[in-house]
Amino acid sequence: MADRLVVFEATIASAWNVQGEAPGLSSAPNAVSREGSVTAFWLGPRSWLVLGKSPGEATAAFDVSASRVAYTLSGSHAATVLNKHCPLDFHPSAFPPATCAQSLFGQVNALYYRHAAAEAITIFVARSFARDVAHHLDASAAQYGAEWAAPRPFVAD
Amino acid sequence: MTQPFRLAQGGAVDRARPLAFTFDGARFEGYAGDTLASALLANGVHLVARSFKYHRPRGIYTAGAEEPNALVQLGMGARSEPNVRATTLELFDGLSAESQNRWPSLRFDAGALNDAFSPLMPAGFYYKTFMWPATPRGWLRYEHLIRRMAGMGRAASEPDPDAYEHQYAHCDVLVVGGGPAGIEAARFAAQAGRRVILCDEGPPSGRDIADVTLLSRTTAFGIYDDLMVGALERVTDHLASPPEREPRRRLWKIRAREVVLATGAIERGIAYAGNDRPGTMLAGAAKTYLERYAVRPGSRAVVFTNNDSAYAAAQALMSAGVDVAAVVDARPEGEAARRCGLRVIASSAIVNANGRLRVSSVDVAPLDGGRARCIDCDLVCVSGGFNPAVHLWSQARGTLRYDERLAAFLPDACPLPVRIVGAAAGELDAVRALWSVRSKGKRFVDLMNDVTADDVALAAREGYTAVEHLKRYTTLGMGPDQGKTSGVVGLALLAEARGVSIPDVGTTTFRPPYTPVTLGAVPGSEQGAHLAPTRRSAMHDWHAERGARFVTAGLWLRPHSYPRAGESEDDAANREARNVRANVGVVDVSTLGKIEIAGRDAAAFLNRIYVNTIDSLATGRCRYGVMLRDDGMVLDDGTVTRLGPSHYLLTTTTVNAVKVMQHIEYLLQVVWPELAVFATSVTEQWAAAAISGPRARDVVAALVDIDVSNAAFPFLAVASCRAASLPARLFRMSYSGELAYELHVRADRGRELWEAIVKAGEPFGLMPYGTEAMGTLRIEKGHIVVGPEADGRTTADDLGLGKLVSGAKWCVGKPLLARPALTEAGRWQLVGLTALDGAPMPRAAKLVADPARATPNPMLGHVTSWCYSPNLEKWIALALLADGRRRHGETLWAVSPLAGARVRVKVGPSCFIDPEGARLRG
Repeated sequence: MADRLVVFEATIASAWNVQGEAPGLSSAPNAVSREGSVTAFWLGPRSWLVLGKSPGEATAAFDVSASRVAYTLSGSHAATVLNKHCPLDFHPSAFPPATCAQSLFGQVNALYYRHAAAEAITIFVARSFARDVAHHLDASAAQYGAEWAAPRPFVAD
Repeated sequence: MTQPFRLAQGGAVDRARPLAFTFDGARFEGYAGDTLASALLANGVHLVARSFKYHRPRGIYTAGAEEPNALVQLGMGARSEPNVRATTLELFDGLSAESQNRWPSLRFDAGALNDAFSPLMPAGFYYKTFMWPATPRGWLRYEHLIRRMAGMGRAASEPDPDAYEHQYAHCDVLVVGGGPAGIEAARFAAQAGRRVILCDEGPPSGRDIADVTLLSRTTAFGIYDDLMVGALERVTDHLASPPEREPRRRLWKIRAREVVLATGAIERGIAYAGNDRPGTMLAGAAKTYLERYAVRPGSRAVVFTNNDSAYAAAQALMSAGVDVAAVVDARPEGEAARRCGLRVIASSAIVNANGRLRVSSVDVAPLDGGRARCIDCDLVCVSGGFNPAVHLWSQARGTLRYDERLAAFLPDACPLPVRIVGAAAGELDAVRALWSVRSKGKRFVDLMNDVTADDVALAAREGYTAVEHLKRYTTLGMGPDQGKTSGVVGLALLAEARGVSIPDVGTTTFRPPYTPVTLGAVPGSEQGAHLAPTRRSAMHDWHAERGARFVTAGLWLRPHSYPRAGESEDDAANREARNVRANVGVVDVSTLGKIEIAGRDAAAFLNRIYVNTIDSLATGRCRYGVMLRDDGMVLDDGTVTRLGPSHYLLTTTTVNAVKVMQHIEYLLQVVWPELAVFATSVTEQWAAAAISGPRARDVVAALVDIDVSNAAFPFLAVASCRAASLPARLFRMSYSGELAYELHVRADRGRELWEAIVKAGEPFGLMPYGTEAMGTLRIEKGHIVVGPEADGRTTADDLGLGKLVSGAKWCVGKPLLARPALTEAGRWQLVGLTALDGAPMPRAAKLVADPARATPNPMLGHVTSWCYSPNLEKWIALALLADGRRRHGETLWAVSPLAGARVRVKVGPSCFIDPEGARLRG
């Protein structure tokens, strides 16, 4: 476990809640569809969070670009830190790379995304809770010598 | 010489690392690898505690978590911790511990008088003795005294300075217990490719098992639903100076597909007179102290047993140079006795132990009643057999069966995927059941709670024949040790007294926790300011930098007011409210709930959920709306904006945002799935500021790139625009009753917008205002709030909003509005009150006609919201009053019996300022 735990805010330029019929987006629970710079997270039946540009063909699309704040944790302790607040099993056999799941972070609703590079996980929370969530992430990650890196745009890889 | 009882070699202690510690102020030395108990024994200290009830001198009885005697107070000040088991407390340099439950000192304890008066204090004595006076208050006084006399250590009174945390973990197989059976199980499961966690309460052994996650210093204390296992890890307790960033303790919540219990077995004692003298310990504990800690627990020992296991302890004592005076075996002479080469007194028992602060001799007599002989000794090692540690097994609803050969309850069957292995499964030596020895004097069953064999017999005589009653009446097994060494002995004695078999008596319920769990670990990191999460708007830091006082609204923190230097919060709020009516103010309304609705049937859907007509709303316009619950009561109020042909924005009150979203989702998913309507919460997407006051238009005009003249942008107009070059939505709506606008921008640009507003408003006397001034303004204007006025019992008509309810269409809640009780006379209706005689309005007052009338004084209504109006310069209130609208002009009394206040009030319309609405339309 020599690799370093790094935490940073993954900035979101454009985000849409897409509902109804949305060609090209997977309806499988917890699926994540990736195409170019667009990433779509399954949120529920006929509902997705799409990062990147708005998909024009969907029945309904709501601009939620500023609704969520995301933090990416990378390093072998990423799941350990999140598991101090989240009951999900982050083992790759239970939470495969490039899938998402919704759960809690403490008492706050959160969307988790396991990056295609398996050791990185991004957590999305509502903006008003972001400072609280960052506080808990910081306190929990400190014992592993975590380093906060400068914010950078979210990428799904 | 230090550590006179330490062996020259052997054991798992590190003689190269001496550690200094103090006990009751005296300085001692031990070694790394010691527990406090083993280090004390190495220094020849056996007297370590006074007992709970009789304050009898007590020594170290076990070498593990089952310890009933050696509880100490650890540390000082805020970090002081009571009832720490010396037998599991790892020694560290500088450790400082004190004995408990004694005054003035451990050797001379005034409380020991209790022992002399013990005939007056049998089991349950407090139920019989403290009967007078027969009032609850009398008992409370006694309880206070008893608490002081009894009790264990003292909890720290300062706030806990340490950090705690939770940790979730998942595995295929969780193994509890790191003994040989546990290690074997873990290795086997890991080799089969399973994800394995092994937790053990002891320090790490230093040996890894391939592909197994090892949790040391971690006690699995409970099994919960679906094999969620709770475990407490002592992260830093063994360190002299804990690292700052580590939590002190970590509460594990381990979700396992299968659990393997390798929890071992706990030795038990035998009840004979004086079996609690310091220098008495379980035979297995003596062996542990010799072999693991290289400590001689005495110089001259008598071993008392009813099974073969104690012979190994006797041999170990002899090899370490302890003079084993005799092995007293309750059984006839057998193979072990013949082979051991020790003096064995067969078919006999210790009937009495002598000595005060340390055992000095024991009286041994044949079990069939021959003459006793006295044997000098300073150590008595007892083994009454073993109880498999079935606590977690039972919590997992595993059943138990009584085994005569082992005289113990063994695990039988479990409905959950829980296995039990090793000693915990009953791999143990056979036992000749011997629970107590007939003799005079106190024969202790439960050392921790001072329950004797006679107490058990007394309980049975007095009719407490059920094991659960025995437990509660005598407190047997109710101490922090949960009766680990005493429970089965107690119920065996109850069986004897009742003349029934042990399985007929049964066991008490095994409940979590197995060992005490630090309270701080239960909330983990969610304590203090983080007990619940806090929501902050995009402008939060600006408010804080300007000295705002905050109040909570749901989880949100909102500015209450912005006091200036030397200004009280009330004065600040009054200044802010006055300034809105005189000039202009800005308030952060980001917290209001916001929901976007889209889809072909959006207008039809909104028509069904609001009392008023929505489908007539034009694009670019907004409207006030009220929603009802199914029962016709007001659910929420807010605004509806038509953003596009089939695109709407709803606002809700701050506290009802989630409830309204749930209401909408329920209706769309369950009631009308055929409607093509989609909804999403955009509360978090938008930061919002409301600008109100006669100069509001000047401020807004300076900010936005559209024409905001009254003709171009009238009341209830909505438009997209740029505000201070930010993409924004501009609304002309008013909550204060003044000319007012709302600006919404992306939440991450909220602070930029706010600062631009403050700057643009400067020439016009703009001040920020908080929720207190906002409340004053809305009371002056007679606007209702969900909670005080719309309290779940009021209809739209009660609140003066009856005209909003469209007669032309159906909506949720409307059918039940026709119920007779909602239409008949006498309903409580919204009115305004003005305090007469200049007196302040009492808080939460009720309305009566005559305050002098004897109680119960008929209540005509109650005050819902009240304030000092800085604009009217008098106290005003909103109230719900029976037939209120017909009582305008009447004088009533607002009384608060709690505050002892009463004020004459005049009833009038709920709107105090500009009832025609000229200001907001101007």
